[in-house]
Amino acid sequence: MSSSNSGSNEAWGSRIGLILAMAGNAVGLGNFLRFPRQAAANGGGSYMIAYFIALLLLGIPLMWIEWGIGRNGGRYRKGHLPGMFAAIWKHPAAKYFGVVGMVVPLGVMIYYTYIESWTLAFAIFSATKDYWGQTTQEGMIGYLRSFQGLAPEGGAVYHASYTPYAFFTVTLFVNIYVLSKGISGGIEKLAKIGMPILFLFAIVLAGVVLTLPAQPGIGATPAQGLEFIYTPDLSRLNQPGIWLAAAGQIFFTLSVGMGSLQAYASYLSTKDDIALNGLATASTNETVEVVLGGSIAIPAAVTFFGVAGAMQIAQGGSFDLGFATMPVVFQQIDKTLPIGNLLGVMWFGLLFFAGITSSVAMLTPVTAFFREEFGIQREKVAWSFGALAFVIGLMHVHWLGHGFLDEWDYWVGTFGLVLVAVLEVVIFVWIFKPENAWKSIHMGADIQIPKIFKFIMTYVTPLYLLIILTWWGKDEAIPILLNQRSAGSANPVSDVDMPFITISRGILVLMIIGFLFAIRMAWKRNGYDDRKGFVEIPSNRAGL
Amino acid sequence: MSGGAIAFMAISWGFVLSLVSWSYYRLLTNKKHHDPDGIGPASPPEPPSTKKR
Repeated sequence: MSSSNSGSNEAWGSRIGLILAMAGNAVGLGNFLRFPRQAAANGGGSYMIAYFIALLLLGIPLMWIEWGIGRNGGRYRKGHLPGMFAAIWKHPAAKYFGVVGMVVPLGVMIYYTYIESWTLAFAIFSATKDYWGQTTQEGMIGYLRSFQGLAPEGGAVYHASYTPYAFFTVTLFVNIYVLSKGISGGIEKLAKIGMPILFLFAIVLAGVVLTLPAQPGIGATPAQGLEFIYTPDLSRLNQPGIWLAAAGQIFFTLSVGMGSLQAYASYLSTKDDIALNGLATASTNETVEVVLGGSIAIPAAVTFFGVAGAMQIAQGGSFDLGFATMPVVFQQIDKTLPIGNLLGVMWFGLLFFAGITSSVAMLTPVTAFFREEFGIQREKVAWSFGALAFVIGLMHVHWLGHGFLDEWDYWVGTFGLVLVAVLEVVIFVWIFKPENAWKSIHMGADIQIPKIFKFIMTYVTPLYLLIILTWWGKDEAIPILLNQRSAGSANPVSDVDMPFITISRGILVLMIIGFLFAIRMAWKRNGYDDRKGFVEIPSNRAGL
Repeated sequence: MSGGAIAFMAISWGFVLSLVSWSYYRLLTNKKHHDPDGIGPASPPEPPSTKKR
Protein backbone atom coordinates (compact mmCIF):
# COMPACT_ATOMS: atom_id res chain seq x y z
CA MET A 1 0.00 0.00 0.00
CA SER A 2 1.22 3.44 -0.76
CA SER A 3 0.78 6.81 0.74
CA SER A 4 0.59 9.72 -1.61
CA ASN A 5 2.90 12.48 -0.59
CA SER A 6 3.11 14.53 -3.70
CA GLY A 7 5.03 17.62 -2.95
CA SER A 8 3.72 18.10 0.56
CA ASN A 9 6.94 18.54 2.47
CA GLU A 10 6.25 21.94 3.94
CA ALA A 11 7.48 22.86 7.40
CA TRP A 12 7.34 25.66 9.92
CA GLY A 13 10.38 27.94 9.78
CA SER A 14 10.64 28.61 13.51
CA ARG A 15 8.99 27.68 16.77
CA ILE A 16 7.90 31.25 17.49
CA GLY A 17 6.43 31.41 13.98
CA LEU A 18 4.45 28.26 14.72
CA ILE A 19 3.16 29.61 18.06
CA LEU A 20 2.22 32.97 16.50
CA ALA A 21 0.41 31.26 13.61
CA MET A 22 -1.42 28.92 15.99
CA ALA A 23 -2.29 31.83 18.30
CA GLY A 24 -3.28 33.90 15.28
CA ASN A 25 -5.58 31.09 14.23
CA ALA A 26 -7.18 31.10 17.69
CA VAL A 27 -7.30 34.88 18.25
CA GLY A 28 -10.19 36.18 16.20
CA LEU A 29 -12.99 38.72 16.17
CA GLY A 30 -14.64 36.91 19.09
CA ASN A 31 -11.81 37.82 21.47
CA PHE A 32 -12.60 41.52 21.19
CA LEU A 33 -16.32 41.53 20.38
CA ARG A 34 -17.98 38.35 21.62
CA PHE A 35 -16.15 37.76 24.92
CA PRO A 36 -16.76 41.11 26.67
CA ARG A 37 -20.40 41.14 25.56
CA GLN A 38 -20.93 37.59 26.78
CA ALA A 39 -19.25 38.25 30.12
CA ALA A 40 -21.29 41.38 30.72
CA ALA A 41 -24.57 39.75 29.70
CA ASN A 42 -24.07 36.52 31.70
CA GLY A 43 -23.43 37.59 35.25
CA GLY A 44 -19.88 39.00 35.07
CA GLY A 45 -17.75 37.25 37.68
CA SER A 46 -20.05 34.21 37.72
CA TYR A 47 -19.54 33.82 33.98
CA MET A 48 -15.77 33.98 34.54
CA ILE A 49 -15.99 31.01 36.95
CA ALA A 50 -17.85 28.95 34.34
CA TYR A 51 -15.47 30.26 31.67
CA PHE A 52 -12.28 29.13 33.42
CA ILE A 53 -13.78 25.76 34.33
CA ALA A 54 -14.69 25.28 30.64
CA LEU A 55 -11.15 26.31 29.69
CA LEU A 56 -9.64 23.64 31.94
CA LEU A 57 -12.11 20.84 31.21
CA LEU A 58 -12.83 21.52 27.56
CA GLY A 59 -10.57 24.10 25.91
CA ILE A 60 -7.05 23.06 26.91
CA PRO A 61 -7.72 19.28 26.70
CA LEU A 62 -9.22 19.72 23.22
CA MET A 63 -6.25 21.85 22.23
CA TRP A 64 -3.88 19.00 23.14
CA ILE A 65 -6.13 16.42 21.48
CA GLU A 66 -6.21 18.43 18.23
CA TRP A 67 -2.44 18.99 18.21
CA GLY A 68 -2.06 15.26 18.88
CA ILE A 69 -4.40 14.23 16.05
CA GLY A 70 -2.68 16.66 13.67
CA ARG A 71 0.87 15.69 14.52
CA ASN A 72 -0.05 12.00 14.30
CA GLY A 73 -1.59 12.62 10.86
CA GLY A 74 1.62 14.37 9.82
CA ARG A 75 3.54 11.10 10.35
CA TYR A 76 1.66 9.80 7.31
CA ARG A 77 1.65 13.21 5.62
CA LYS A 78 -2.05 13.73 6.20
CA GLY A 79 -2.96 17.36 6.84
CA HIS A 80 -6.71 16.75 6.68
CA LEU A 81 -9.19 15.08 9.04
CA PRO A 82 -10.27 12.23 6.71
CA GLY A 83 -6.65 11.07 6.60
CA MET A 84 -6.02 11.82 10.28
CA PHE A 85 -9.05 9.82 11.37
CA ALA A 86 -8.12 6.94 9.05
CA ALA A 87 -4.58 6.95 10.45
CA ILE A 88 -5.96 6.39 13.96
CA TRP A 89 -9.03 4.22 13.36
CA LYS A 90 -8.42 1.48 10.80
CA HIS A 91 -12.02 1.21 9.71
CA PRO A 92 -13.56 2.01 6.29
CA ALA A 93 -15.94 4.53 7.90
CA ALA A 94 -13.20 6.57 9.59
CA LYS A 95 -12.29 8.63 6.55
CA TYR A 96 -15.91 9.57 5.86
CA PHE A 97 -16.36 10.95 9.37
CA GLY A 98 -13.52 13.30 8.49
CA VAL A 99 -15.76 15.07 5.96
CA VAL A 100 -16.90 17.40 8.76
CA GLY A 101 -13.28 18.54 9.08
CA MET A 102 -13.42 19.74 5.46
CA VAL A 103 -16.91 21.27 5.28
CA VAL A 104 -16.70 23.12 8.61
CA PRO A 105 -13.46 25.08 7.99
CA LEU A 106 -14.30 25.83 4.34
CA GLY A 107 -17.84 26.92 5.27
CA VAL A 108 -16.72 29.12 8.15
CA MET A 109 -13.90 30.60 6.07
CA ILE A 110 -16.32 31.83 3.41
CA TYR A 111 -18.63 33.85 5.63
CA TYR A 112 -15.90 34.78 8.13
CA THR A 113 -13.92 36.41 5.31
CA TYR A 114 -16.99 38.46 4.49
CA ILE A 115 -17.27 39.69 8.10
CA GLU A 116 -13.51 40.29 8.08
CA SER A 117 -14.03 42.54 5.05
CA TRP A 118 -16.21 44.84 7.19
CA THR A 119 -13.20 45.46 9.45
CA LEU A 120 -11.01 46.37 6.47
CA ALA A 121 -13.72 48.70 5.18
CA PHE A 122 -14.22 50.38 8.56
CA ALA A 123 -10.44 50.79 9.03
CA ILE A 124 -10.45 52.77 5.76
CA PHE A 125 -13.65 54.64 6.71
CA SER A 126 -11.91 55.59 9.99
CA ALA A 127 -8.78 56.83 8.20
CA THR A 128 -10.87 58.95 5.84
CA LYS A 129 -13.32 59.99 8.59
CA ASP A 130 -16.11 58.72 6.35
CA TYR A 131 -18.50 58.09 9.23
CA TRP A 132 -17.54 61.29 11.07
CA GLY A 133 -20.74 63.10 11.98
CA GLN A 134 -22.65 59.95 12.94
CA THR A 135 -22.28 60.68 16.64
CA THR A 136 -25.13 58.59 18.00
CA GLN A 137 -25.51 54.83 18.32
CA GLU A 138 -28.61 54.95 16.10
CA GLY A 139 -26.79 57.03 13.48
CA MET A 140 -23.86 54.58 13.35
CA ILE A 141 -26.18 51.57 13.19
CA GLY A 142 -27.82 53.24 10.18
CA TYR A 143 -24.36 53.76 8.65
CA LEU A 144 -23.43 50.10 9.26
CA ARG A 145 -26.71 48.84 7.78
CA SER A 146 -26.14 51.06 4.74
CA PHE A 147 -22.71 49.49 4.24
CA GLN A 148 -24.19 46.01 4.60
CA GLY A 149 -26.87 46.86 2.04
CA LEU A 150 -29.57 46.58 4.70
CA ALA A 151 -30.72 50.20 4.85
CA PRO A 152 -34.50 50.29 5.28
CA GLU A 153 -36.56 51.67 2.42
CA GLY A 154 -36.37 55.45 2.54
CA GLY A 155 -33.48 55.28 5.04
CA ALA A 156 -30.19 57.13 4.59
CA VAL A 157 -27.74 55.50 2.15
CA TYR A 158 -24.06 56.32 2.66
CA HIS A 159 -22.39 53.80 0.36
CA ALA A 160 -22.57 52.71 -3.25
CA SER A 161 -24.23 49.31 -3.57
CA TYR A 162 -21.00 47.69 -4.82
CA THR A 163 -18.98 48.74 -1.72
CA PRO A 164 -19.42 45.54 0.38
CA TYR A 165 -18.75 43.39 -2.70
CA ALA A 166 -15.54 45.29 -3.42
CA PHE A 167 -14.22 44.93 0.14
CA PHE A 168 -15.15 41.25 0.23
CA THR A 169 -13.29 40.67 -3.04
CA VAL A 170 -10.14 42.43 -1.80
CA THR A 171 -10.19 40.61 1.56
CA LEU A 172 -10.69 37.21 -0.06
CA PHE A 173 -7.89 37.93 -2.55
CA VAL A 174 -5.45 38.76 0.28
CA ASN A 175 -6.45 35.57 2.12
CA ILE A 176 -5.95 33.36 -0.91
CA TYR A 177 -2.69 35.07 -1.83
CA VAL A 178 -1.25 34.40 1.65
CA LEU A 179 -2.48 30.81 1.58
CA SER A 180 -1.01 30.22 -1.88
CA LYS A 181 2.44 31.15 -0.54
CA GLY A 182 2.44 28.15 1.78
CA ILE A 183 3.11 27.50 5.43
CA SER A 184 6.41 29.26 6.11
CA GLY A 185 6.28 31.60 3.09
CA GLY A 186 2.71 32.84 3.63
CA ILE A 187 0.94 31.88 6.85
CA GLU A 188 3.98 32.11 9.14
CA LYS A 189 5.07 35.44 7.64
CA LEU A 190 1.56 36.86 8.07
CA ALA A 191 1.49 35.73 11.72
CA LYS A 192 4.91 37.25 12.39
CA ILE A 193 3.72 40.60 11.02
CA GLY A 194 0.06 40.53 12.05
CA MET A 195 0.28 39.29 15.62
CA PRO A 196 2.77 41.91 16.92
CA ILE A 197 0.68 44.64 15.23
CA LEU A 198 -2.46 43.21 16.82
CA PHE A 199 -0.83 43.20 20.27
CA LEU A 200 0.50 46.72 19.81
CA PHE A 201 -2.86 48.14 18.69
CA ALA A 202 -4.73 46.31 21.46
CA ILE A 203 -2.35 47.52 24.18
CA VAL A 204 -2.54 51.14 22.94
CA LEU A 205 -6.34 51.03 22.71
CA ALA A 206 -6.71 49.42 26.15
CA GLY A 207 -4.35 52.06 27.56
CA VAL A 208 -6.33 54.92 26.01
CA VAL A 209 -9.71 53.50 27.06
CA LEU A 210 -8.74 52.65 30.64
CA THR A 211 -7.36 56.16 31.26
CA LEU A 212 -10.40 58.00 29.90
CA PRO A 213 -11.88 60.55 32.30
CA ALA A 214 -15.55 60.44 33.32
CA GLN A 215 -17.64 62.16 30.65
CA PRO A 216 -19.76 65.19 31.48
CA GLY A 217 -23.42 64.27 31.80
CA ILE A 218 -22.64 60.53 32.01
CA GLY A 219 -20.39 60.34 35.03
CA ALA A 220 -19.29 56.75 34.40
CA THR A 221 -15.63 55.72 34.28
CA PRO A 222 -13.80 52.87 32.50
CA ALA A 223 -13.37 51.23 35.92
CA GLN A 224 -17.14 50.93 36.06
CA GLY A 225 -16.93 49.17 32.72
CA LEU A 226 -14.55 46.61 34.21
CA GLU A 227 -16.85 46.37 37.21
CA PHE A 228 -19.73 45.73 34.80
CA ILE A 229 -17.81 42.76 33.35
CA TYR A 230 -16.40 41.31 36.56
CA THR A 231 -18.96 41.93 39.36
CA PRO A 232 -19.99 38.43 40.43
CA ASP A 233 -23.68 37.56 40.42
CA LEU A 234 -23.27 34.19 42.12
CA SER A 235 -27.00 33.51 42.08
CA ARG A 236 -26.71 32.88 38.34
CA LEU A 237 -24.24 30.02 38.72
CA ASN A 238 -27.13 27.55 38.99
CA GLN A 239 -28.43 28.58 35.57
CA PRO A 240 -27.35 26.11 32.85
CA GLY A 241 -27.36 28.95 30.31
CA ILE A 242 -24.22 30.50 31.84
CA TRP A 243 -22.30 27.22 31.66
CA LEU A 244 -23.35 26.65 28.06
CA ALA A 245 -22.50 30.23 27.09
CA ALA A 246 -19.06 29.93 28.69
CA ALA A 247 -18.40 26.55 27.06
CA GLY A 248 -19.49 27.97 23.70
CA GLN A 249 -17.16 30.93 24.06
CA ILE A 250 -14.21 28.69 24.95
CA PHE A 251 -14.99 26.65 21.87
CA PHE A 252 -15.12 29.62 19.51
CA THR A 253 -12.20 31.51 20.98
CA LEU A 254 -9.69 28.64 20.82
CA SER A 255 -10.76 27.67 17.27
CA VAL A 256 -11.15 24.05 18.33
CA GLY A 257 -13.39 21.81 16.24
CA MET A 258 -12.35 23.65 13.09
CA GLY A 259 -9.80 21.29 11.50
CA SER A 260 -7.24 24.07 11.10
CA LEU A 261 -5.21 23.48 14.30
CA GLN A 262 -4.82 19.85 13.24
CA ALA A 263 -3.70 20.89 9.76
CA TYR A 264 -1.07 23.24 11.22
CA ALA A 265 0.12 20.56 13.66
CA SER A 266 0.52 18.04 10.83
CA TYR A 267 3.59 20.02 9.73
CA LEU A 268 5.40 18.92 12.91
CA SER A 269 7.38 15.76 13.55
CA THR A 270 7.23 13.41 16.52
CA LYS A 271 10.44 15.04 17.77
CA ASP A 272 8.57 18.32 18.12
CA ASP A 273 6.83 19.36 21.29
CA ILE A 274 3.07 19.79 21.20
CA ALA A 275 2.27 19.79 24.93
CA LEU A 276 3.95 23.12 25.70
CA ASN A 277 3.18 24.60 22.28
CA GLY A 278 -0.51 23.82 22.75
CA LEU A 279 -0.54 25.37 26.19
CA ALA A 280 1.33 28.46 24.96
CA THR A 281 -1.20 28.87 22.13
CA ALA A 282 -4.17 28.59 24.49
CA SER A 283 -2.66 30.93 27.07
CA THR A 284 -1.76 33.54 24.41
CA ASN A 285 -5.32 33.49 23.19
CA GLU A 286 -6.69 33.76 26.74
CA THR A 287 -4.42 36.72 27.52
CA VAL A 288 -5.62 38.54 24.42
CA GLU A 289 -9.22 37.74 25.25
CA VAL A 290 -9.42 38.27 29.02
CA VAL A 291 -6.84 41.01 29.57
CA LEU A 292 -7.05 42.98 26.30
CA GLY A 293 -10.45 42.01 24.88
CA GLY A 294 -12.18 42.79 28.17
CA SER A 295 -10.47 46.17 28.52
CA ILE A 296 -11.57 47.91 25.33
CA ALA A 297 -15.14 47.73 24.01
CA ILE A 298 -17.23 47.42 27.19
CA PRO A 299 -15.23 49.91 29.35
CA ALA A 300 -15.41 52.38 26.42
CA ALA A 301 -19.16 51.83 25.99
CA VAL A 302 -19.78 52.31 29.74
CA THR A 303 -17.71 55.51 29.81
CA PHE A 304 -19.66 57.16 26.99
CA PHE A 305 -23.12 55.57 27.36
CA GLY A 306 -23.29 54.77 31.09
CA VAL A 307 -23.88 51.34 32.59
CA ALA A 308 -27.54 51.16 31.51
CA GLY A 309 -26.67 52.28 27.96
CA ALA A 310 -23.83 49.77 27.71
CA MET A 311 -26.12 46.99 28.92
CA GLN A 312 -28.59 47.86 26.18
CA ILE A 313 -25.77 47.92 23.61
CA ALA A 314 -24.46 44.54 24.85
CA GLN A 315 -27.90 43.04 24.31
CA GLY A 316 -27.90 44.42 20.76
CA GLY A 317 -25.11 42.06 19.69
CA SER A 318 -21.37 41.97 19.16
CA PHE A 319 -21.37 43.64 15.75
CA ASP A 320 -23.32 46.69 16.90
CA LEU A 321 -20.86 47.00 19.79
CA GLY A 322 -17.82 46.84 17.51
CA PHE A 323 -19.02 48.60 14.38
CA ALA A 324 -21.47 51.18 15.76
CA THR A 325 -20.59 51.91 19.40
CA MET A 326 -16.82 52.06 18.98
CA PRO A 327 -16.90 54.59 16.08
CA VAL A 328 -19.13 56.81 18.25
CA VAL A 329 -16.59 56.45 21.06
CA PHE A 330 -13.69 57.41 18.77
CA GLN A 331 -15.53 60.53 17.62
CA GLN A 332 -16.15 61.50 21.25
CA ILE A 333 -12.49 60.95 22.16
CA ASP A 334 -11.51 63.04 19.14
CA LYS A 335 -13.11 66.12 20.72
CA THR A 336 -10.44 66.24 23.44
CA LEU A 337 -7.67 64.09 21.96
CA PRO A 338 -7.49 64.61 18.17
CA ILE A 339 -6.49 61.06 17.31
CA GLY A 340 -10.00 59.62 17.10
CA ASN A 341 -9.62 58.43 13.52
CA LEU A 342 -6.22 56.90 14.30
CA LEU A 343 -7.82 54.95 17.16
CA GLY A 344 -10.50 53.84 14.71
CA VAL A 345 -7.83 52.59 12.30
CA MET A 346 -6.15 50.73 15.17
CA TRP A 347 -9.41 49.16 16.40
CA PHE A 348 -10.56 47.95 12.99
CA GLY A 349 -6.96 47.15 12.03
CA LEU A 350 -6.56 44.86 15.02
CA LEU A 351 -9.89 43.20 14.20
CA PHE A 352 -8.70 42.73 10.61
CA PHE A 353 -5.45 41.07 11.69
CA ALA A 354 -7.33 38.97 14.27
CA GLY A 355 -9.66 37.89 11.46
CA ILE A 356 -7.18 37.21 8.68
CA THR A 357 -4.79 35.15 10.82
CA SER A 358 -7.81 32.92 11.55
CA SER A 359 -9.35 32.78 8.09
CA VAL A 360 -6.15 31.78 6.27
CA ALA A 361 -5.93 28.78 8.61
CA MET A 362 -9.43 27.62 7.69
CA LEU A 363 -8.63 26.75 4.10
CA THR A 364 -5.47 24.84 5.06
CA PRO A 365 -7.17 21.41 5.56
CA VAL A 366 -8.81 21.57 2.11
CA THR A 367 -5.56 22.69 0.47
CA ALA A 368 -3.68 19.89 2.23
CA PHE A 369 -6.25 17.30 1.10
CA PHE A 370 -6.01 18.10 -2.61
CA ARG A 371 -2.23 18.51 -2.53
CA GLU A 372 -1.54 15.34 -0.63
CA GLU A 373 -4.15 13.06 -2.19
CA PHE A 374 -4.34 14.33 -5.78
CA GLY A 375 -0.91 15.92 -6.19
CA ILE A 376 -2.39 19.26 -7.22
CA GLN A 377 -0.14 22.26 -6.65
CA ARG A 378 -0.88 24.38 -3.59
CA GLU A 379 -1.38 27.54 -5.65
CA LYS A 380 -3.89 25.82 -7.94
CA VAL A 381 -5.91 24.43 -5.02
CA ALA A 382 -5.85 27.76 -3.18
CA TRP A 383 -7.01 29.81 -6.16
CA SER A 384 -9.62 27.21 -7.21
CA PHE A 385 -11.19 27.15 -3.77
CA GLY A 386 -10.76 30.92 -3.65
CA ALA A 387 -12.98 31.10 -6.74
CA LEU A 388 -15.55 28.83 -5.10
CA ALA A 389 -15.42 30.91 -1.91
CA PHE A 390 -15.91 34.03 -4.02
CA VAL A 391 -19.07 32.73 -5.68
CA ILE A 392 -20.63 31.49 -2.43
CA GLY A 393 -19.37 34.58 -0.59
CA LEU A 394 -21.25 36.81 -3.03
CA MET A 395 -24.45 35.03 -1.98
CA HIS A 396 -23.62 35.82 1.66
CA VAL A 397 -23.10 39.47 0.78
CA HIS A 398 -26.21 39.68 -1.38
CA TRP A 399 -28.58 37.76 0.89
CA LEU A 400 -27.31 38.87 4.30
CA GLY A 401 -30.70 40.27 5.19
CA HIS A 402 -32.41 36.97 4.38
CA GLY A 403 -30.62 34.91 7.04
CA PHE A 404 -28.26 33.20 4.56
CA LEU A 405 -25.19 33.91 6.71
CA ASP A 406 -26.96 33.14 10.00
CA GLU A 407 -27.87 29.71 8.68
CA TRP A 408 -24.23 28.89 7.90
CA ASP A 409 -23.04 30.46 11.13
CA TYR A 410 -25.26 28.06 13.04
CA TRP A 411 -24.70 24.81 11.11
CA VAL A 412 -20.97 25.06 10.41
CA GLY A 413 -19.82 27.77 12.83
CA THR A 414 -21.64 26.53 15.92
CA PHE A 415 -23.11 23.03 15.69
CA GLY A 416 -20.42 21.78 13.30
CA LEU A 417 -17.60 22.71 15.67
CA VAL A 418 -19.06 20.64 18.52
CA LEU A 419 -19.70 17.75 16.15
CA VAL A 420 -16.06 17.77 14.98
CA ALA A 421 -14.87 17.88 18.60
CA VAL A 422 -17.09 14.95 19.64
CA LEU A 423 -15.76 12.83 16.74
CA GLU A 424 -12.18 13.78 17.57
CA VAL A 425 -12.45 12.83 21.22
CA VAL A 426 -14.18 9.54 20.46
CA ILE A 427 -11.65 8.57 17.76
CA PHE A 428 -8.44 9.89 19.35
CA VAL A 429 -9.12 9.08 23.00
CA TRP A 430 -11.58 6.21 23.02
CA ILE A 431 -10.84 4.27 19.82
CA PHE A 432 -7.09 5.00 19.76
CA LYS A 433 -7.17 4.26 23.55
CA PRO A 434 -6.35 6.81 26.26
CA GLU A 435 -2.88 5.29 26.82
CA ASN A 436 -1.89 5.75 23.17
CA ALA A 437 -3.39 9.23 23.01
CA TRP A 438 -1.49 10.25 26.14
CA LYS A 439 1.75 8.76 24.82
CA SER A 440 1.23 10.43 21.43
CA ILE A 441 0.72 13.88 22.99
CA HIS A 442 3.90 13.43 25.06
CA MET A 443 6.18 12.49 22.13
CA GLY A 444 8.94 15.10 22.06
CA ALA A 445 7.17 17.02 24.82
CA ASP A 446 8.97 19.76 26.71
CA ILE A 447 6.59 19.43 29.68
CA GLN A 448 4.81 16.61 31.45
CA ILE A 449 1.08 17.31 31.44
CA PRO A 450 -0.45 16.65 34.90
CA LYS A 451 -1.94 13.13 34.95
CA ILE A 452 -5.36 14.47 35.95
CA PHE A 453 -5.78 15.69 32.36
CA LYS A 454 -5.69 12.09 31.12
CA PHE A 455 -8.80 11.44 33.21
CA ILE A 456 -10.35 14.72 32.04
CA MET A 457 -9.71 13.92 28.36
CA THR A 458 -11.07 10.40 28.72
CA TYR A 459 -14.24 11.09 30.67
CA VAL A 460 -14.95 14.73 31.48
CA THR A 461 -14.33 16.39 28.08
CA PRO A 462 -16.48 13.87 26.15
CA LEU A 463 -19.28 14.17 28.72
CA TYR A 464 -19.10 17.96 28.60
CA LEU A 465 -19.26 17.85 24.78
CA LEU A 466 -22.17 15.44 24.75
CA ILE A 467 -24.12 17.69 27.13
CA ILE A 468 -23.48 20.72 24.87
CA LEU A 469 -24.39 18.76 21.73
CA THR A 470 -27.58 17.40 23.29
CA TRP A 471 -28.61 20.75 24.73
CA TRP A 472 -27.93 22.69 21.55
CA GLY A 473 -29.57 19.92 19.51
CA LYS A 474 -32.74 20.05 21.59
CA ASP A 475 -32.93 23.82 22.00
CA GLU A 476 -31.60 24.99 18.67
CA ALA A 477 -30.70 22.43 15.98
CA ILE A 478 -34.06 20.65 15.81
CA PRO A 479 -36.22 23.82 15.97
CA ILE A 480 -34.02 25.47 13.32
CA LEU A 481 -34.12 22.39 11.09
CA LEU A 482 -37.92 22.26 11.40
CA ASN A 483 -38.09 26.01 10.67
CA GLN A 484 -39.80 26.64 14.01
CA ARG A 485 -37.24 29.38 14.53
CA SER A 486 -34.56 31.01 12.40
CA ALA A 487 -30.84 30.56 13.02
CA GLY A 488 -30.36 34.28 13.65
CA SER A 489 -33.27 34.95 16.00
CA ALA A 490 -36.04 33.29 17.99
CA ASN A 491 -38.60 34.23 15.32
CA PRO A 492 -39.79 31.67 12.76
CA VAL A 493 -38.40 31.88 9.22
CA SER A 494 -40.56 34.19 7.11
CA ASP A 495 -41.98 33.09 3.76
CA VAL A 496 -39.81 35.69 2.04
CA ASP A 497 -36.62 34.27 3.57
CA MET A 498 -37.49 30.60 3.13
CA PRO A 499 -36.08 30.19 -0.42
CA PHE A 500 -32.76 31.71 0.66
CA ILE A 501 -32.56 29.43 3.71
CA THR A 502 -33.26 26.44 1.45
CA ILE A 503 -30.48 27.48 -0.98
CA SER A 504 -28.14 28.03 1.98
CA ARG A 505 -28.77 24.52 3.32
CA GLY A 506 -28.68 23.04 -0.18
CA ILE A 507 -25.16 24.35 -0.79
CA LEU A 508 -23.98 22.88 2.51
CA VAL A 509 -25.45 19.50 1.60
CA LEU A 510 -23.79 19.68 -1.83
CA MET A 511 -20.47 20.48 -0.16
CA ILE A 512 -20.81 17.42 2.09
CA ILE A 513 -21.67 15.16 -0.87
CA GLY A 514 -18.84 16.65 -2.96
CA PHE A 515 -16.23 16.06 -0.26
CA LEU A 516 -17.49 12.52 0.45
CA PHE A 517 -17.07 11.78 -3.23
CA ALA A 518 -13.59 13.35 -3.27
CA ILE A 519 -12.55 11.28 -0.23
CA ARG A 520 -13.73 8.08 -1.94
CA MET A 521 -11.86 9.03 -5.11
CA ALA A 522 -8.68 9.83 -3.18
CA TRP A 523 -8.66 6.47 -1.41
CA LYS A 524 -9.27 4.61 -4.67
CA ARG A 525 -6.68 6.64 -6.56
CA ASN A 526 -3.95 6.06 -3.98
CA GLY A 527 -4.89 2.42 -3.29
CA TYR A 528 -5.25 2.88 0.45
CA ASP A 529 -6.24 -0.17 2.46
CA ASP A 530 -8.50 0.98 5.29
CA ARG A 531 -7.66 -2.03 7.47
CA LYS A 532 -3.87 -1.72 7.12
CA GLY A 533 -3.50 2.02 7.50
CA PHE A 534 -0.93 4.28 5.90
CA VAL A 535 2.79 3.91 5.50
CA GLU A 536 4.71 6.22 7.82
CA ILE A 537 6.74 8.79 5.92
CA PRO A 538 10.22 9.48 7.30
CA SER A 539 10.01 13.00 8.58
CA ASN A 540 12.16 15.86 7.48
CA ARG A 541 10.26 18.19 9.78
CA ALA A 542 12.27 17.94 12.95
CA GLY A 543 13.53 20.05 15.74
CA LEU A 544 11.15 22.98 16.30
CA MET B 1 -14.95 49.12 41.63
CA SER B 2 -16.47 46.82 44.23
CA GLY B 3 -14.31 44.39 46.18
CA GLY B 4 -15.94 41.41 44.43
CA ALA B 5 -15.27 42.82 40.96
CA ILE B 6 -11.64 43.61 41.84
CA ALA B 7 -11.17 40.09 43.24
CA PHE B 8 -12.66 38.41 40.17
CA MET B 9 -10.69 40.60 37.80
CA ALA B 10 -7.45 40.02 39.72
CA ILE B 11 -8.00 36.25 39.75
CA SER B 12 -8.90 36.18 36.03
CA TRP B 13 -5.99 38.34 34.92
CA GLY B 14 -3.62 36.64 37.36
CA PHE B 15 -4.53 33.18 36.06
CA VAL B 16 -4.06 33.93 32.35
CA LEU B 17 -0.98 36.09 32.83
CA SER B 18 0.69 33.45 35.03
CA LEU B 19 -0.13 30.74 32.51
CA VAL B 20 1.20 32.70 29.53
CA SER B 21 4.33 33.85 31.41
CA TRP B 22 5.15 30.30 32.51
CA SER B 23 4.53 28.91 29.01
CA TYR B 24 6.76 31.46 27.29
CA TYR B 25 9.44 31.15 29.99
CA ARG B 26 9.57 27.42 29.29
CA LEU B 27 9.55 28.01 25.53
CA LEU B 28 12.30 30.59 25.58
CA THR B 29 14.57 28.72 27.98
CA ASN B 30 14.19 25.48 26.04
CA LYS B 31 17.56 24.17 24.92
CA LYS B 32 16.16 22.03 22.09
CA HIS B 33 18.27 22.22 18.93
CA HIS B 34 16.54 24.20 16.16
CA ASP B 35 16.65 22.29 12.89
CA PRO B 36 13.44 22.91 10.95
CA ASP B 37 14.30 21.00 7.78
CA GLY B 38 15.86 18.06 9.60
CA ILE B 39 19.03 18.03 7.48
CA GLY B 40 21.27 19.79 10.01
CA PRO B 41 23.72 18.12 12.42
CA ALA B 42 22.33 15.88 15.15
CA SER B 43 23.45 18.27 17.88
CA PRO B 44 23.89 22.04 18.01
CA PRO B 45 27.30 23.28 16.93
CA GLU B 46 29.65 24.17 19.77
CA PRO B 47 30.37 27.86 20.32
CA PRO B 48 33.73 28.84 18.73
CA SER B 49 35.36 29.63 22.08
CA THR B 50 35.07 26.02 23.27
CA LYS B 51 36.47 24.44 20.10
CA LYS B 52 39.81 22.75 20.57
CA ARG B 53 42.43 23.44 17.97
